[in-house]
Amino acid sequence: MLRISAPLLALTLSLSAPGLALGAASTAMPMKAESMELTGEVIDTWCYLSGIMYAEGTAHHQCAIWCAAGGVPVGLLTEDGDVYFIVEFEGRSDTLADPGLLEIQTHQISIDGDVYERDGLKYLSVNKVLKDEGIVNLTHEEYGIQPFGE
Amino acid sequence: MHPRTFAFVLTAGMFLAGTAQAANSWGLPNEETARFEAKVVDVLCELKDDCPTDGGAGRRQLGLLLDDGTLVLPVKNSTPFSGTQVELLPFLGKKVVADGLFMTNHGVRLFALQFVREAPDGEWRGANRFLKAWAENNGYTADAKETKQWFRHDPRVKALIGEQGKLGLGPEADKAFLEE
Repeated sequence: MLRISAPLLALTLSLSAPGLALGAASTAMPMKAESMELTGEVIDTWCYLSGIMYAEGTAHHQCAIWCAAGGVPVGLLTEDGDVYFIVEFEGRSDTLADPGLLEIQTHQISIDGDVYERDGLKYLSVNKVLKDEGIVNLTHEEYGIQPFGE
Repeated sequence: MHPRTFAFVLTAGMFLAGTAQAANSWGLPNEETARFEAKVVDVLCELKDDCPTDGGAGRRQLGLLLDDGTLVLPVKNSTPFSGTQVELLPFLGKKVVADGLFMTNHGVRLFALQFVREAPDGEWRGANRFLKAWAENNGYTADAKETKQWFRHDPRVKALIGEQGKLGLGPEADKAFLEE
C-alpha cells in the first residue's frame, strides 16, 4: 500500500521544520482567482474522471442526477477537455446536491466565473450563467442508458 | 463496464467497506491505494477564506489538507452514487487518517475515501454512512431495499427524472427510446 511518496514525505518534513510556517497550513489564505468565460457540459465529475462508465451526454443524464443528488461534486467539462469543479454557483456556496445544479445536469452552458487552481485541480466559482443551450450532447443511441441500461 | 460488473463492484465495495480497514481496489485509472493523515477542511474556506463554522452544514465540498499544504479532493465514498460530505463533516477542522484510493485520469488526481478515523488512533469507520443518513432523512430503515437503491427512491431525484426523463429529453423521448 502506498502511504505518502518519499519525495512528498521529504517535502512535508522540510516544510514542517521550524521557521517555515507554510508547513502548518492551518490558516486559510484567499487565493488569487482568474476571471474566465467558459463553455461546456455540466457533468458528474466522479463518473467522468473515474472512467467507470461512459459519462457524457444523454446516456449518462440519469446517473448524473443521481450523483449530484448524492453529493458528488458537479463539474464543467469544456471543449478542450478541462474539468472544472463547481464550488459556487450564482452566489450559492452550498453546491452539493444543489437543486439548481441538479436541474441543469448535462446542459451545455456558458458561464462567467472565477477559477482557482490548486494542486492540479481547477475549482470554479460560477458568477453567472450567460447562456444555457439545454442538452445538446445526444449519446444514448450509441451508449444506451448508463450504467444499468434502463 | 458491463452493468452486471458495475453492480458487482458497487455491492462488493459496500460489503468490504463495512468489514475491513484497508483500501480495496476498484480498478480505477492509475489507481493507488493510500492511507494518510490530513485535516478535514472546507474547500471554499481554503480557496477564498470564506469559512462558515459549520462547513455549510454538509452542503459545501470538503477537502483533506496535508501538512505540506496540499489540498486533496475526496469526491467519492463507498456507497453508490454518493460523495463524502456525510463521511467527513463530523471531522471538520480535525485531523483524520484517510484510507482509500487515489486515481488519475484526464490529468486530474482525485481521492475516493473508503475508511476514515480521527487521528491518530480513533476507531475506523467505513465511508458508507450516506445510506444511513439518507434512510433517516427519508423514513426508511438502513437495511430497507429502498435504502439500498436510494437513487431510485429519492423524492427529489424521482421528481426531476419524472419531469426531465432518464435521457433529459422528456418522458416521451425515454418511452420512444426504450421501446426501440
